[in-house]
Amino acid sequence: MYDVKAKKVKMKIGQLWENFGLLFLFVVVITIFSILSPTFRTYYNFANNFRFSSLIGIGAIGMTFCIMSGDFDISIGSMLALVAVIGSSLIPKIGGIGGVLSTIVIASFLGFVNGVFIAKLKIPAFITTLGMLFVFRALAFMYTNNAPVYIQDKFWLFMGNGKVYGIPFAAIAMVICYLGAFLLLRKSPFGRYIIAIGTNKRAAMLSGINVDNVKIIIFTLLGFFIGVASVVTSANLGSANPGLMGQGYEFQVITAVVLGGTSLKGGNGSIGGAFIAAMILTYFKNGLGLLQVSSYWQYVAVGLILILAVTLNRMKYTLLGQVEV
Amino acid sequence: MIKFLKLYEKFGIFIFIVIGAVALSIASPHFLELNTILNIITQGTYAAIIGFGMTFAITSGGFDLSVEAVMGLTSVFLAILIPVVGIPLAIVISLVIASSVGLINGLIITKLDVNPFITTLAMMTIIRGVSLLVAGGRQIVISEKSFMMIGTGKLLGIPVPIYITMVLFIIFYLILYHTPFGRHVSAVGSNENSSRISGLNVNLVKIAVFILVSFTAGVAGTIRTSQTLIGIPTMAPGFVLDVIAVTILGGTSLSGGRGNLWGTLFAGVFISMIYYGLNLLGVQIFYQMLSVGLVLIFALFVNGIRTKYLEKIKARGIKV
Repeated sequence: MYDVKAKKVKMKIGQLWENFGLLFLFVVVITIFSILSPTFRTYYNFANNFRFSSLIGIGAIGMTFCIMSGDFDISIGSMLALVAVIGSSLIPKIGGIGGVLSTIVIASFLGFVNGVFIAKLKIPAFITTLGMLFVFRALAFMYTNNAPVYIQDKFWLFMGNGKVYGIPFAAIAMVICYLGAFLLLRKSPFGRYIIAIGTNKRAAMLSGINVDNVKIIIFTLLGFFIGVASVVTSANLGSANPGLMGQGYEFQVITAVVLGGTSLKGGNGSIGGAFIAAMILTYFKNGLGLLQVSSYWQYVAVGLILILAVTLNRMKYTLLGQVEV
Repeated sequence: MIKFLKLYEKFGIFIFIVIGAVALSIASPHFLELNTILNIITQGTYAAIIGFGMTFAITSGGFDLSVEAVMGLTSVFLAILIPVVGIPLAIVISLVIASSVGLINGLIITKLDVNPFITTLAMMTIIRGVSLLVAGGRQIVISEKSFMMIGTGKLLGIPVPIYITMVLFIIFYLILYHTPFGRHVSAVGSNENSSRISGLNVNLVKIAVFILVSFTAGVAGTIRTSQTLIGIPTMAPGFVLDVIAVTILGGTSLSGGRGNLWGTLFAGVFISMIYYGLNLLGVQIFYQMLSVGLVLIFALFVNGIRTKYLEKIKARGIKV
């Protein structure tokens, strides 16, 4: 029996969900915590969290590309720490602007290396980046001999704490990154290549897309965004710590991307969704912290959110009829 | 060349071990003493034991990142249960709890159809959180001295963990190569769809595999807890890398379908030899992380080149 009407209703629900589900969730999270915590509902807290959401948010852009093309990268947390310690240690030699630029360049290069391994040698991305996760972290330790690098440079710190007309610069940087990524994904051939590869790699290859090169570019781009996130994060903290920085970062970023509606099977994804999801996660963590929930419960909560997000995603795509059941 | 590659897949790890052994015996006069060798092998057993489970997982086309968290969970439950119910029962209960994590992993992966990689990544965090909650964020000291027997005791001059590893190896070897279940694991890993169509209960096989992985993680967690007599909720951070390095280095194919338990066993010894060598050099702990990461990437590199070469040959129509 093929029920057209039921299918239409399902599609309607799926579309509503896709368009407004995340915003609804965001409002729910904000409302609940605002009722429970008086500190949460202050303007200062809202503004501050918006700034903090750029930490996850900027990384989530690159990861959205990556997951849409059907791959993962779990080395980004360690990469964040490694490029931060290298870049900030270069400040005395080449100045703040040079330091920031070299951080971003080095991060892009590390992403490029990941990409070459994955695309040219056909090693599954998750295992390559699992190895890199440890290599990068170890290199960060070795580079600084396990001592944090303190950052005093004004330009660097401005990237994390500075304000332009009262708006945090980190938030502006995030919005610019998102606009750029949105245009890249929706208005350029490159964006369509990503979607094509994620949907059907073989078909993409046969229709003349150079899959290897696109993949390498995706990982390089991811590295670029991690470089930006690294500068913002270390500027926020005022130091770059090789051991503590970026611990669990990959986990939060992947959760944001998946919660944002990007399908783990590749092909389907949403840049705007990642943006809202990054904010949801940041406000959620902030709210739990303000309510003095034990950090151990937070581990459990974030893990559950990830599994839940994947499951909800699948349900949504099933409703939309994009996945055979 | 094809013959060489096939031999490499089976015995490549022995080449590494021989090179490592020669290098170490030149570097250290103590290397060739029986005690040192037994020590190195014992140190290698933890990664090898979980490696057996991981070999099953990768052979079936899956993957498990949650093993290190399961070790911590086992450790915490042992420390809490030993004073209450005695050693044997505590071990049994802890192993059952560890295995139930695998059951949850398997159920999420098969019933909710979530990617194994993401599932176990999430479960790693969840289980760490649960272990810390159960332990109240502390390390719990075990006062029962006789529990140390498992990790540090010796029988006929050989440390107990080596016996445990051998017993597990024989059991897993028989399961993988001499039972229908073992063949089902390989079948699911080579081609899930055709296994399903030919009537295999793929979900059941997958769930069983994830239970096995968590079980082995529980065993390794028990041995390590018994050596220190402390229940540590955050036990062995980053150990999953060792386990996966051991499995891949041992020759288990990442594309699934072909497991190599012998390789896993000896790769465990090889990783332990690297650690021994690094200790000789007196370098800091993060060099260990770096070296294992590099070893894994090297193993992947070789694996990648081999796969590419075989594909080229297949494209020319030569049967591999």
